[in-house]
Formats: sequence, C-alpha cells, structure tokens
Amino acid sequence: METPDGLQHHIQLKKGDAGRYVLLPGDPGRCEKIASYFDTPKFLARNREYVSYCGTLLGEKVSVVSTGIGCPSTAIAVEELIAIGADTFIRVGTSGGMQPGIKTGDIAVVTGAIRDEGTSLHYMPVEFPAVADPDVVWALREGARRIGMPHHLGISQSKDSFYGEVEPQRMPVDKHLLERWKAWKMGGAVCSEMEAAIIFIISSIQRTRAGGVMLMAGDFESPPQNEKELKAMMVLFDVDRVIRTAVEGLKVLIEMDRSH
Amino acid sequence: MARDFGEVVHHLQMKKGDVGRYVLLPGDPGRTDLIAKYFDNAKLVANNREYRSFTGTLLGEKVSVVSTGIGCPSTAIAVEELILLGADTFIRVGTSGGMQPEQEAGELAIVTGAIRDEGTTLHYMPPEFPAVADIDVVLALREAAQRTGAHYRLGISHSKDSFYGQHQPERMPVAERLMERWKAWKMGGAISSEMEAAAIFILSSIYRTRAGGIMLVAANQESKNPERKIVEDLDELLRTSIEALKILIEQDRKSKK
Repeated sequence: METPDGLQHHIQLKKGDAGRYVLLPGDPGRCEKIASYFDTPKFLARNREYVSYCGTLLGEKVSVVSTGIGCPSTAIAVEELIAIGADTFIRVGTSGGMQPGIKTGDIAVVTGAIRDEGTSLHYMPVEFPAVADPDVVWALREGARRIGMPHHLGISQSKDSFYGEVEPQRMPVDKHLLERWKAWKMGGAVCSEMEAAIIFIISSIQRTRAGGVMLMAGDFESPPQNEKELKAMMVLFDVDRVIRTAVEGLKVLIEMDRSH
Repeated sequence: MARDFGEVVHHLQMKKGDVGRYVLLPGDPGRTDLIAKYFDNAKLVANNREYRSFTGTLLGEKVSVVSTGIGCPSTAIAVEELILLGADTFIRVGTSGGMQPEQEAGELAIVTGAIRDEGTTLHYMPPEFPAVADIDVVLALREAAQRTGAHYRLGISHSKDSFYGQHQPERMPVAERLMERWKAWKMGGAISSEMEAAAIFILSSIYRTRAGGIMLVAANQESKNPERKIVEDLDELLRTSIEALKILIEQDRKSKK
C-alpha cells in the first residue's frame, strides 16, 4: 500500500530503494551490523520494527530490512518489498536447534518450513508446502562451505509462540504443543524460529525466490550445566557467524544470476 | 520403519538384497518393464498386487524400479517396505496434469515440494509440516534435464487423493471447496497435479531418506493454447530420470555417501 508520496505504508521505502536482493533479519538492532558487510552501506529508513539499509555486493545493489518477530509483521515487510521491486529474500536469524548432534553456533540452511503459524493461512490452505527456492538453498550451502561454516540442511519450524515452544508445560494446550514438537523432531526439523514459513509462502504466490540461514543454539533439552559452559555457549552463539554465511551465500547467488 | 514380517516384506514380496539403494517409483506397474529396459542386467524380482519390481544396475550400482499403484495409501506401503529393505533414495517418475497457463503438454515437471491434499500423510505428520524434496535429488534431476535437452520447470506438485475430484469437480458434492482450493494451488505456482509425491516426501523426511520426483506434463487443462494436446511418449521422461540416477550415483561415490 503506497502513501501519497510513493512510500510503502510500513517500511517507508519507495521503488528503487532496496534493489532485488534483500536480507531479512528479525531484529531491527541487527541491520546496522549486517549492513557493515556491504560495500558503501547507506541507512534508508526506520519505522516501527522496520529498519533498512542498502549497499552493494560485487557491485550489485543489496539491502537489509528487519521484519520484527513473527509472521504477521514479516508478511507486511515482504509484501511491501515485492511492491518496490525486490525478488530475492534471505532470512538471517537465530533459532533453536532441534536434532541431536547440532552444536551451538552451527548454521541451519533452511529447505522448507513447518507452517505452525496463523499468517500463511490467510494466503493459502495449510496443505501447501512452505518451500525454499532450490537455487537460494544451493547458494547458501555453497556460501557456508566457502567460509568453512558448520551447517545442516533441513526444515525449520516457524511458530507463532516463543514461550509456547520454550515453556510448553505452562500453557493450557501443553499436550498439543508437546505432541506436535515431538512430530516435528521425528520429521527431522533442524531448527525452530518464527518467520520463515510466511516468507516462503508469499514467495511461492508472488513467484519470488526465498531461503534462509539460521544460527542455532544447541538442543535446549541438554542446556549448559554451569556458568563456564554457558559462557562457552554464548561465545559460539555469535550472530556474526550467520551474517557472514548469508553474505557469502548472497555473493554466490549474485554470481550465479550473472552467469545465467 | 515397517516391521519385518520375516523373509519377505508383506506387500512387495521381496527380501533384503532384492533392491538397490536407488529406486525409481512409477505409479503404473505396466511401466516398470519399460523403465527396466534402461537398466543394465535388469531382472524381474517380484510381482504382487500393484507392486511390480525390477532390479538391475547403472554405472555398476544396483538400482531398482518398483511400481506404487495409484495414490498415497499404496505408495506409503511401498516406501515403508523399501526402506526396510535398505533403499534410501527415491525418485517418483510419473505423469501429471499441468497447472500453469504457460505450461505445454510434453514438458517435464521437476518437483521441489508437494501439496499434501491427501489423507495418508496425516497418519504420519500434522499438515503444517512441508512435503519437501531433497535438494540434491532436485538438482540432479535438473542437471539431467539439461543434459537430455528436455523442456522442464521446477516447482510444487499437487498430490491429491481424488482423480475425478480434480478432473470433474463440478459433479462432486464438495465442488465449491475443490474449485476454490484448485485456484489457490494455481495461484501458489503449483506446476503439476498427481497422486503420490507427498507421501514419498513425508516418509523420506521421517526416515531421513532422500526423495524427488519428475513428472511428464501429459496434458494441461489450464493451457492458454486452445488446442488441448495430450503427450503420451515417456521416452524423454525416462531417459531424464535414468540420467539423474547416474548423476546421483557419481555424486555419492565422490562424496563417499
């Protein structure tokens, strides 16, 4: 939805501001850090939870726009970014690991998302899969390989309730939550976060491309036992790891797009 | 995984060693003979109900073709029993209907994910879980299509339970619902409508096996072209799926998977 001065209603950007490649963190506070990896980064706009910067990578215009937490605010960001010409989205975020063997600091390269949220049902019946674009997945995996980042390909759980996941036992629907969590794990889901599903569903509908990389905390069912272990974990849970992977993956994708 | 019923698995009527780790999955038992012709040293190993199985080799590696019958219920049984026998890589090879106006009959649909418009996978997993193909299988199929020169596109497949509900929705008591959902799948970019992919993908997620699918778009009811072409020649589809298996076999050897 455009305002009279040509700006998108929520992200406050206009055509040409963002370029076609957009990194999507949840946290507005991470945009500046991500933009510092761009050549010639430039602040664009700040409104509500939407902070944006643009810059270039390999001479190509790229940008970063925060989505806020959850699919409702993310859907708005993606809709408005498509309206101003973006066509390639990479979610960059943090998440909880869901499989044994995942270590804190490992990266999830997301191939699809569990639609455990309400927003995408306003677009598409639940049976439709939230799938990442294969070229974006390939590029992100290649990016992780190039910088030697430990990574796991797999499905992400996109949920609406953070506390429903981390403290299910205190919810009135605890049994439902716990049973479904067990099913997602048995299905091989690698990480749990809150935005991927809607980015993928909107990208299917609008014929844009999307993928995601997520920094993972190790399986929270075996949490750190003492302060020393906690400190060691927090050193590895460094968002810089996932940003470097996303930026490298984006470069791979830009190279791939140029060669086609 | 399916319980071991003894020497031979219950429905496929095969035992360990009868199948390779790489399995092509057509729906039609009649097509297994056709596919086995592309293998080296193909041999009929079993034939029970809708399940007809040949095993042979490609690049010296043991490969199989097993028909699933129509629909996810019989397909789930085949995949369960194949995994029990040691198979870990599945490529669905079949025919389908096109769903986008620009699709021409005769092109190939390489499936990246499936709409779970069927009942079987709900016995395994809540519907929010995506039925997703393995990325390496998808990329091998794409590479194969480029090598065989086939027209292809990548996208999501519609896996349905009712053939006639799709082709003649107007005569069903739930006509409106069927038509509204069909419109949603089309708007979501689905490129093929068939009846088995979702179960193969969901079981493969649960058992950590790899799966993909390649479908001939035999006809396209949504085509802009008023002349409704029907393509029945499977040669390009089969050559492409065989080429993809070879690519996967080579890749697996290189990475010692």
